[in-house]
Amino acid sequence: MILNNLELISFKIALILCAVSTIGYLSSLLVRRVKLAKISTWILSTAFVFLTVKFLFVIINSSWFLNPDSRDFLSFCAWTVCAVYLVLQFKTKTRVLGAFISPLILLFMIAAAGEEAGKSIRPQNLQSGLTALHLFLTIFGEALFVIASCAGLMFIMQNRLLKSKKLSGMSRLLPSLNDLDRINHLCLLWGFPLLSVGVIAGVIFAQISWKTGWLTDPKIVWTFAAWMIYGFLLHQRLAIGWKGYRMALFSGITFILLLVSYFGVKICFPTLHNFI
Amino acid sequence: MIALTGLNHKTASVAVREKIFAGCQEKKDVLPALRSIVGVEEVLYLSTCNRVEVIASIAEDGKALKALSAFLAQNGGLTDQEAAGCFYEYRDEEAVRHIFRVASSLDSMVMGESQILGQVKDAYRDALEKYATGVVLNRLMHCSFRAAKRVRSETGIAVNPVSVSHAAVELAKKIFGSLDGKKILLIGAGEMAELTGTQLIEKGAQSIIIANRSLAQAELLAEKFHGKAVSLDSLEKKLVETDIVISSTGAPDFIVTAAMLKKIHHQRRNRLLFLIDIAVPRDIEPAASELENVYLYNIDNLQDIVDENVHARRKEAIRAEKIVDEEVERFVNWQRELESVPTIVSLHNKAEDIVKAEMEKASGWIGNLTKEDQEKIEALVHSIVNKVLHSPVTVMKEESSDISSRDIVAAVRRLFRLD
Repeated sequence: MILNNLELISFKIALILCAVSTIGYLSSLLVRRVKLAKISTWILSTAFVFLTVKFLFVIINSSWFLNPDSRDFLSFCAWTVCAVYLVLQFKTKTRVLGAFISPLILLFMIAAAGEEAGKSIRPQNLQSGLTALHLFLTIFGEALFVIASCAGLMFIMQNRLLKSKKLSGMSRLLPSLNDLDRINHLCLLWGFPLLSVGVIAGVIFAQISWKTGWLTDPKIVWTFAAWMIYGFLLHQRLAIGWKGYRMALFSGITFILLLVSYFGVKICFPTLHNFI
Repeated sequence: MIALTGLNHKTASVAVREKIFAGCQEKKDVLPALRSIVGVEEVLYLSTCNRVEVIASIAEDGKALKALSAFLAQNGGLTDQEAAGCFYEYRDEEAVRHIFRVASSLDSMVMGESQILGQVKDAYRDALEKYATGVVLNRLMHCSFRAAKRVRSETGIAVNPVSVSHAAVELAKKIFGSLDGKKILLIGAGEMAELTGTQLIEKGAQSIIIANRSLAQAELLAEKFHGKAVSLDSLEKKLVETDIVISSTGAPDFIVTAAMLKKIHHQRRNRLLFLIDIAVPRDIEPAASELENVYLYNIDNLQDIVDENVHARRKEAIRAEKIVDEEVERFVNWQRELESVPTIVSLHNKAEDIVKAEMEKASGWIGNLTKEDQEKIEALVHSIVNKVLHSPVTVMKEESSDISSRDIVAAVRRLFRLD
């Protein structure tokens, strides 16, 4: 019980810190001060630490490390996006990316908090190392795609500003085209194999436990489509040499399409992945 | 009083500035000569290509100020006619404000440029080495450095580039992030292209290829940059390799066309391409700007960016002036305290405080004595303190009319830690 409470408290602290850093990032865009973005990055890092603590409690609390109930799932999404962003941030120093990603993280966190009241009981038949692996890798892979797409959107904005021959404050604030393209490239490069292994793990698990019927599950179709599209993008990049604007445009469109279809599927169809 | 005289790009023509500059360059002993003028206590001499100024601490009557500007005019060999109206003279607070504004680059031809502070610092070091400055000017110069530093860090006056070549460098950074290893192609061997090329190399660009109609001239420039010279015929091949193109030929037609770029697009593997066209008439077809991953700027685009930045600097200058005002006030306050009377008062106050504190400490055993003895002890202590303070106070009073009193007052303030 105490552990449960501690878990809840650290989650709440993380949520508040996340909100603060989002406000910080967004206002750094408005007032155009890098210092504010710097502070926001540190706040987000602290939020990340608290979120990690929360997951430590989850691990101690339960027999396996991830409860596939909504709250844990969504906050785990937030955790991964946050982790990937922070690593990228400390490597490339493109703090402005935070203004685009922190609202997303916050959204995940709020959704997670919303689900908090009705913690669903996790399906017994899902308890296996394979599902844990499957969940972890797919979430990680998709988090990377989210960031790739954010970088793509920023590339489109910066491209537009530079093509308009103006060097406005906004353009000064956004990272350079080359850096954004590199982020997009790195995220696709790492995201794709992770998602691939994640999907394969899921397929093996489904074959063992459900035997038949899972192939037509809408969520599986959706994930498979996402995997194919990102695979296609990566292929275009590595083999055909797509770069810059076209890459950014396509990853942006893909991201929006996948987001829409995800919610569409969630609302309209019954699915085996009903816990997500 | 602090006084300042001199001329700058606003008050004197370039011919006059040249003369003064040359006159002062020839003679190495400008500072001693300035110092020997009657009434001049401390002096500092600043000379750059845009201004020649003398800052001095002079006797209160201010007569020395005229002598200083006359010396400058004479030293530069100016006729009375030439000298008339060129020199400005500032006293006290006005002089302080002026030197603060100069150091902060608010008075410069290109507002916000960073060189002037270094030049002011050099001038100060010169004066310091020749023992031409004292308490007042030392403090004044340190305060001016502080003002300049604050202006730089607290306002955006020096942030955005205000020259075409710097604007081009900034754009290159917005496109490529880091310029490390980037290849530059100069088409035409113009001066502007050369300048921009130099700055890109300074920022880390790797190599330069120079394509020119006359190969000989290209080779000349290539030697300077340790680059490669090619003829215009192999332009297309070279375009495949490069990341940044600076074009400045006198050709009447487009040298780089959109069709040409489209053709090599695939060969370049869609890499980002930054085109700078500073030629008039233009060398690069404007339609190239529509191409993916190609960023084309002509001279007007760059000038627009520069104009906007100049405008932004002017806005920042208003904030900078406020900072200068604050620093001037701070300095003037310090100066006021250098007067004898407030120093004597604070010296007495300090002594009084010490007596009070010590008496309090000793109140334990003094309390046991008779009232008469207590009063005697108190009188004794006060009399000792007054005797000790008597000489410094008298000297300060005696010298207060003299210009050297400031040194004494400053020394007293420091010795007794009154600041």
